[in-house]
Amino acid sequence: MRGKIVTDSLGQARQLGQCLARGGEGEIYALRGRADVIVKWYYPEVLDKRGAALHRKVEAMRELRDTHTTRDVCWPLIRVFDHEQRWIGFAMYRARGVKMGCLAHSLLYARHFPDLDRRQIVGYLLRFIEIVQQLHGDGICIGDYNLNNVFCVPGSDSVTLIDCDSYQLRVGGTFYPCPVGSPDMTPKEHQGKAFRDIVRTPRSEAFSLAIVLFKCLMLGRHPYDIVGGGDPVRNLRRGHFAYGRGQRGVPQGDWYALWQALPEAIQEHFVTTFTEGADQPARRTTLAQWQAALSAYGERLDRGECPRELAGAGRTPAGRTRHVR
Amino acid sequence: MATYRLNRDSDLIDNPSPRCACMLVLDTSASMFGEPMRELNAGVQAFIAAVQEDDMAACSVELGVITAGGQVTEQLPFTTAMNISQCRHFTATGMTPLGEAMELALDRLEARTAAYRQAGVAYYQPWLVVISDGVPTDAWERVAARSRALAQQRKTVVIPVGVEEADLEALSAFSSRPAKRLDGLKFREFFQWLSASMSRVSASASTTEQVRLPPTDSWDSI
Repeated sequence: MRGKIVTDSLGQARQLGQCLARGGEGEIYALRGRADVIVKWYYPEVLDKRGAALHRKVEAMRELRDTHTTRDVCWPLIRVFDHEQRWIGFAMYRARGVKMGCLAHSLLYARHFPDLDRRQIVGYLLRFIEIVQQLHGDGICIGDYNLNNVFCVPGSDSVTLIDCDSYQLRVGGTFYPCPVGSPDMTPKEHQGKAFRDIVRTPRSEAFSLAIVLFKCLMLGRHPYDIVGGGDPVRNLRRGHFAYGRGQRGVPQGDWYALWQALPEAIQEHFVTTFTEGADQPARRTTLAQWQAALSAYGERLDRGECPRELAGAGRTPAGRTRHVR
Repeated sequence: MATYRLNRDSDLIDNPSPRCACMLVLDTSASMFGEPMRELNAGVQAFIAAVQEDDMAACSVELGVITAGGQVTEQLPFTTAMNISQCRHFTATGMTPLGEAMELALDRLEARTAAYRQAGVAYYQPWLVVISDGVPTDAWERVAARSRALAQQRKTVVIPVGVEEADLEALSAFSSRPAKRLDGLKFREFFQWLSASMSRVSASASTTEQVRLPPTDSWDSI
């Protein structure tokens, strides 16, 4: 079957391969003859409605690119047009690896990340924080934190971020908001507002990032999953964190054992960020503090002072629990 | 018939994925005999296979099936897709007690979401899909109002689908959205859409926001 044809800004035609993913705003295609490049093609209705604004933002992003952003982030690199020379999206490098959502999952990680241990998780997280810090250094905020937009290469500490055309950035005095997000990953001060009207800050980013860290170290559990409580967003708004002081409402199973395996310093950062930090952005652990705390944790793991294996009480290395009750 | 792990509820303990309960209420009355029943069965089987192929959806989607054909039968109690080993084929027989089937479906959904809350498991808005080729042959107006209210309050996504000569007006009464008519017997296309929708929902990080669903033009008709 012949694939769809697109052209670059010089009018050179290129053939697309198979559709790799369908998202909320557009489709991702392989590019024939270039296994390392993919094309994002916005849906026609998205282009009709916001095409001009999207085009401006993607152009601004192309201006910002540097060696960091092209290597660690799937940054828009090349403009792509349809056969009538209308702008329809962009080409970027293809991320290697597996979604972090498959790592942060007690039942899935063993299939995608054989031999995963805590040291490797800490390695991915340190790399992730480093990339976010680089972006922040360039005045860019991720905004829409989603574990499915972070790719990790099993057996290495390689991390790549995808879906970056939603990032918040400022270029030449123009502010481009991050118009998407999800309440489960959004701090209290930004709840209930239209995402396009929000200005993300290092403090709001630190909150969402802490949820990513928690979900990875706790194999998929959301910090605001509480037994008999409301939905995670309601608990988030109230700063009800089950693992905090008093430990009320921790879900049944091995989750508390996973929590207990974390060093006290890491626990403290989570408790403060998810309780007091829910209301007071200044109380949230910063990226630099996470970097330091996780580096220290990594060193302790290297020295054998903390358990590396993910298998907890009753949990086999395959991540499956057999409850005999 | 579905088979389960020894302790089915251990899934709510071990599996941290937010859940999307998806209840299928299927009209398996005598008028569905033959080609429609075969296509419906094939569609359901393909649906389960497609959901299982997507890791995230397989951990998130909990499928339940209730049939209304002569009597109301709970063919599959809510089971996480990854744990479904097989689902039996349905046969067409008798009248269409759709009212009773919907009542049971809503009760099961209510109990399931209560179990989620009890276990501290986050969940997306549950889905209730009702497919019929006729009119309910029992009392259905009261349960239709109950179902419609849940849809209006955004507590449940209710998708009524009419096949062939179905009474779309009656089916529409179950939801806040009008019933769609299946184009011919495009059950497979419908279930393909449903699995794509389930993938979309389970990929979203948000349990409280609406998710943009794929277009329905592969299976619906005017």
